[in-house]
Amino acid sequence: MSSKESCRIELRTAIRQLSDRCLYSASKWAAEQLVGIEQDPAKFTPSNTRFQRGSSSIHRRFRTNEITSTPPTGVAYVSTPVMEEDEAIHGDFYLLAKSYFDCREYRRAAHVLRDQTGKKSVFLRCYALYLAGEKRKEEEMIELEGPLGKSDAVNRELVSLERELATLCKNNTIDPFGLYLYGLVLKEKGNENLARKVLVESVNSYPWNWSAWSELQSLCTTVDILNGLNLSNHWMKEFFLASIYQELRMHNESLSKYENLQGMFTFSNYIQGQIAKARYSLREFEQVEVIFEDLLRNDPYRVEDMDTYSNVLYTKECFSALSYLAHRVIMTDKYRPESCCIIGNYYSLKGQHEKSVVYFRRALKLNKNYLSAWTLMGHEYVEMKNTPAAVDAYRRAVDINPRDYRAWYGLGQAYEMMGMPHYALHYFRKSVFFQPIDSRLWIAMAQCYESEQLHMLEEAIKCYKRAANCNDTEAIALHRLAILHRELDQPEEAAFYYKKDLERMEAEEREGPNIVEALMFLATHYKTQKKFEEAEVYCTRLLDYTGPERETAKSLLRGMRIAQSGFPSMDVEHFHP
Amino acid sequence: MAGVVKAPGAFAITPHKVSVCILVHIYASPSQISVPFPFSSVSQHNRLGLYLLALTKSCDDILEPKLDQLINQLREIGGLLDHWLTDHVTSRLSSLSSPDDLFNFFNELRETLGGPDSGVMEDDQVILDPNSNLGMFLRRCILAFNLLTFEGICHLLTNIGIYCKEAISSCSSYELRRVDDSGNDFESLSEYENMDLNLVFKKINEEMEARKRATEQVSFHLHLPKELSTLVEDIEVSADPKSEHNDKGRESSSYASGELLRDVDPNGGVFLRTNWQIQGYLMEQADAIEKHGSSFTLNAFELTLRQLQKLAPELHRVHFLRYLNNLYHDDYFSALENLHRYFDYSAGTEGFDFVPPAGCNSFGRYEIALLCLGMMHFHFGHPKKALEVLTEAVRVSQQHSNDTCLAYTLAAMCNLLSEIGFSTTSGILGSPFSPMISVGTSLSVQQQLFVLLKGSLKRAESLKLKQLVAANHLAMAKFDLTHVQRPLLSFGPKTSMKLRTCPIIVCKELRSGYHLISEFCCEGSTMTADGAFSTAWLKNLQKPMGSLVLSQDNGSRNNYNPFLFFTQPSSIPGSVMQLVGSSYLHRATAWEIYGSAPLARANALVYATCFADASSSSDAALVHVKLIQHLAVFKGYKEAFAALKTAEEKFLCVSKSRILIMKLQLLHERALHRGHLKLAQQVCDELGVLASSVTAVDMELKTEASLRHARTLLAAKQFSQAAAVAHSLFCMCYKFNLQVESATVLLLLAEIHMKSGNAVVGLPYALASLSYCQTFNLDLLRASATLTLAELWLSLGSNHAKTALTLLHGAFPMILGHGGLELCARAYITEAKCYLSDPSFSVSKNPELVLDPLRQAADELQALEHHELMAEAFYLMAIVFDKLGQPEQREEAASSFKNHVMSLDHPHDVEDPIQSDTLLNA
Repeated sequence: MSSKESCRIELRTAIRQLSDRCLYSASKWAAEQLVGIEQDPAKFTPSNTRFQRGSSSIHRRFRTNEITSTPPTGVAYVSTPVMEEDEAIHGDFYLLAKSYFDCREYRRAAHVLRDQTGKKSVFLRCYALYLAGEKRKEEEMIELEGPLGKSDAVNRELVSLERELATLCKNNTIDPFGLYLYGLVLKEKGNENLARKVLVESVNSYPWNWSAWSELQSLCTTVDILNGLNLSNHWMKEFFLASIYQELRMHNESLSKYENLQGMFTFSNYIQGQIAKARYSLREFEQVEVIFEDLLRNDPYRVEDMDTYSNVLYTKECFSALSYLAHRVIMTDKYRPESCCIIGNYYSLKGQHEKSVVYFRRALKLNKNYLSAWTLMGHEYVEMKNTPAAVDAYRRAVDINPRDYRAWYGLGQAYEMMGMPHYALHYFRKSVFFQPIDSRLWIAMAQCYESEQLHMLEEAIKCYKRAANCNDTEAIALHRLAILHRELDQPEEAAFYYKKDLERMEAEEREGPNIVEALMFLATHYKTQKKFEEAEVYCTRLLDYTGPERETAKSLLRGMRIAQSGFPSMDVEHFHP
Repeated sequence: MAGVVKAPGAFAITPHKVSVCILVHIYASPSQISVPFPFSSVSQHNRLGLYLLALTKSCDDILEPKLDQLINQLREIGGLLDHWLTDHVTSRLSSLSSPDDLFNFFNELRETLGGPDSGVMEDDQVILDPNSNLGMFLRRCILAFNLLTFEGICHLLTNIGIYCKEAISSCSSYELRRVDDSGNDFESLSEYENMDLNLVFKKINEEMEARKRATEQVSFHLHLPKELSTLVEDIEVSADPKSEHNDKGRESSSYASGELLRDVDPNGGVFLRTNWQIQGYLMEQADAIEKHGSSFTLNAFELTLRQLQKLAPELHRVHFLRYLNNLYHDDYFSALENLHRYFDYSAGTEGFDFVPPAGCNSFGRYEIALLCLGMMHFHFGHPKKALEVLTEAVRVSQQHSNDTCLAYTLAAMCNLLSEIGFSTTSGILGSPFSPMISVGTSLSVQQQLFVLLKGSLKRAESLKLKQLVAANHLAMAKFDLTHVQRPLLSFGPKTSMKLRTCPIIVCKELRSGYHLISEFCCEGSTMTADGAFSTAWLKNLQKPMGSLVLSQDNGSRNNYNPFLFFTQPSSIPGSVMQLVGSSYLHRATAWEIYGSAPLARANALVYATCFADASSSSDAALVHVKLIQHLAVFKGYKEAFAALKTAEEKFLCVSKSRILIMKLQLLHERALHRGHLKLAQQVCDELGVLASSVTAVDMELKTEASLRHARTLLAAKQFSQAAAVAHSLFCMCYKFNLQVESATVLLLLAEIHMKSGNAVVGLPYALASLSYCQTFNLDLLRASATLTLAELWLSLGSNHAKTALTLLHGAFPMILGHGGLELCARAYITEAKCYLSDPSFSVSKNPELVLDPLRQAADELQALEHHELMAEAFYLMAIVFDKLGQPEQREEAASSFKNHVMSLDHPHDVEDPIQSDTLLNA
């Protein structure tokens, strides 16, 4: 990786260039990373660094390996020359156009630049037109909405924009920003292959435009496509890879990339948020909570990624923290999908599912493709016993992203609730296909097989085995395996699983009826196997518990002693009625 | 959104509807006399009315027609009036230039409608009844317009402009034609129109310019950059071919229209028809898919569906159609995916006719999903999985007390059970699922099937599902045909139950299916019928007049309305036709089994002529197979193969298997007759391969294959092997209760023993076969068993010749009346042999008694090329002539005998094309 200082210089220039072209979200992103670079404490006064200090404690606590800022061996980063600004001639028009643009008067801005031929002006004109078209599209979407959800509102500028940009591209008079816009247009027109090519070209010649990377990411839906991209090495590529790995559910790879990046951008809130999201996917809730707390301390008005935080709080059932978070985001920005989602989560936790649905609906109104809101709304409908609605919501989530295993799982559950286990199996199969490492999914599928209508115990055992292999935290699988084997009259296997279950419960220091059950079975099993020593061990342990099992254990022990000493046991029973 | 079923009232006002409104206005313009101004006769007036009615109801496409399509149709319909009509429509449309014009237009429309108190209207005044079809249409348009927001009105206005503009591109050519074929009288008129259209053109161009100006900022500077100006021209140029493309593309290939969509869409010129029309269209397409099977074009329809989905994302029925399309193109995964998607979205409550709307509960109707899934698994050849799913469907429909679905599920199960044969089902139905079968699990599969059938029939009857009742009657008839009715319980007085099938019952069942044809209208398929009617009507506009069947009076075109005649036959829904047709097919099969060839053929012919349009391709193939088999048996192979060739062309890729099987059967028979034993064995093996394909074992075909195997061995004189094969086959038939087949196998065993010289051993088999035939009323098979019995007696020695002759004469009426060529010939030869071996019979006294049957036999065998029997006939003839002392004729017969023996021993290697290409194909 290049040095911090050169990074900083690159970013500073990029921010200026990006905001010159009104690519605001990209420039926002770049600025966040710029500030995220660790300052050299020798050069700066404490007041400068105070902003960054707050988060240092957490880094020490959770950084798994100390990151050095040297790149992995064998990777040479290209240094992309920072672009020269080209024009000052028509600067006045440009300034006017930019002010119009900033006031969201896109068509006016485009009109001012109608005769300008400088690259910068051409880009801003095209971009303004594009945004104008988008704005009109949104409006028309509402105006034209029919009962069958007619959704053919399109950006009417796309055709002319595509033509103009294609001409520019052919004449080789297009700059990376133009390429980005061209990619955007192509993507909307459905020409994904060319869009990918154009975007790759754009990020290769100007890597600091995060918007371009994001568009590229949305076009890479499989690992194969990703591997087919010809990207030159730049530190921005690391960000891209980390982000896309997360999208492709390669959470560990993503996490390691982010942690690597954190060596340089130590204080980047963005990276922190992403790490939290990755850890959330890996179900490391404790750490995620700490990260988010820290993040909110530094950036109290942040709304991005906070839906993930609310999910964590939901899982941990932190009522007050969740309500606090909801309050906070609503004060910051009420009409963000994330905000609505957080409130929905809060109501759901309070058991007020109707209200929760209202907020999820609002979130979806704000962003129709908000995946997790569809899924969460499905959960709410399940709670409200409105299964058809739940099925519909889940199905929409699945159609937005077919790899969303939670929604597949929800569909399966809904159908199982309706007493259609065979039909539900299809969905559970899909779910485990996309997330084979989640024990809960396997257990759900196994329970489906176990249901009285299907009663396919062999298949259930197979599923439980898979569940047991993937870190079943609630320890259902082992217990069920033991019981099923016992029911199928396979005492050897049953004993094996009881033993494993027992070991596990001991390790986790759990108590409960399961222990007694396991001990009981093992004792009788070993007794019938004539392995009296083992049986005795289990019987003795049973003596620590109260209840009828204790008496049974006692009589078992007695029986065994007598059998060992050679007396016929029948007589003994008679002596002690 | 989620869980809410949309009301089906999607009715948006579109440019096309505006122009229909204009036409309605012309049709029923107020304050006119009985025949309003432009019309010259009542029939002309009515014709426009019919056309408008059809326009609002037809469902031949998902998109509304463009203006030029409308104009084309008007030209066909309007006769002398077409110029006036098109002019009026275009000028009216182009006069709508501001929102206010639209308001005024719709206000004017309101006058066309009679008020609620239309009793006070004057005589001769044309006023549209508000409750008539057109009146409703008008009211809906007015309502939809009134509901529009101002933005909506602006959109409508823009769209009307584009709608007119698109028509103009095709106008120039149209105009030239018009000027050419209209006489001088019309010159002024067309000039006027020209002017008008030019006006429109100019206006639209202006508007387009203005739009461009607004969007692209290019056109009004004098010093505009050169590339940009060419760019503008580009747009202009490319717009024209696009809309031209539009005119033709629709018809020629829907691929083009799919492509088109992406380009045209931004202009907003594409509109869906009404929901009702689209549903009708989808239903028609579903019928078409089911009817044509895999010959239905996958991709073209898929594109239409994609377009539809884009235009109406909430119309979930699209997914179902996609499922059907994939199902019939054997794409398992997409079919499964789309099935699930459809039911996830619709909860089974969208688009199903059979669901009474009142009974819609909030749980959705997911049991229908299970029913469909079960049928899908069955289609893909997973009978076991299908049964599991259907079992779940039974349970869920009971749980939700959806009796209709339950009845259909049971019918599906019956169908499944009777289709897959009984090799695989044992033990599946035994699962404790079915409260239907309360008798317990000890029943055989047939008995379970019988109980299911009865239950299903009863349910269907009580629910008044006519089609299902008819289908169940058919299934019942099929069951009765092939299975002996046994007492269901294993205890109690058994003697009261006769162990036999009864043709009367079968006939009764078949006949009960016919009631359907008079009662079909009860099942709520009026909508499809109505839509189909209108679609057919509109389609016939395009047909040339010459093709009319009923055109007696060509001259008076104006008074004569051809359209009505065309649409008559389509008023019966296709599904009803199909069911009634298949009852004929069942009859044909029944007669085939009972042994009446002429009746079987008659029924098959009735089916092929009357129900060919409505039949599914597999049924059509089946009836062809039946007819060709009949030809082969009664007319010989030459004609059969000629017919086969045409059949193969007809069912090229559709249902190859059925035709292919029949071809193999024919080839096998012929090879056996000609003595090509190697070829026979080869063909037989191929049949065997077809029997156990990937999907599932076809018991019927398997039996057939091994039966043929045994016969081949018999022809090769490997008696012990043949007997072994036949024996194991009998065991299989017995095990799986294939009783009709058992009779055939027993007869074959008797023949094997006879040919191997153990007539005594053969006798009991023949007798057993006879008793089977009696039980099942298999008359023809019984006659042939009697023939074999006679042959057996004869081979026991000459003192049994009398017995044999009596037996034979008893069977003669049946054999000669219904038997095929081979059977008749065998009977004749046996008769001759009986006479000859009878010591009390003298040839010289009565030569014709022997010679006549022999000649008959030789004639009939000629067509079959059956060398073995021919040789025998000529041999006998030679002996007779020898005894009569006619050496010349004796020599002739002897040389014929020699020829046949030679060709039997040395089958000539002349391969005919049919044979060789089969072997290549297979």
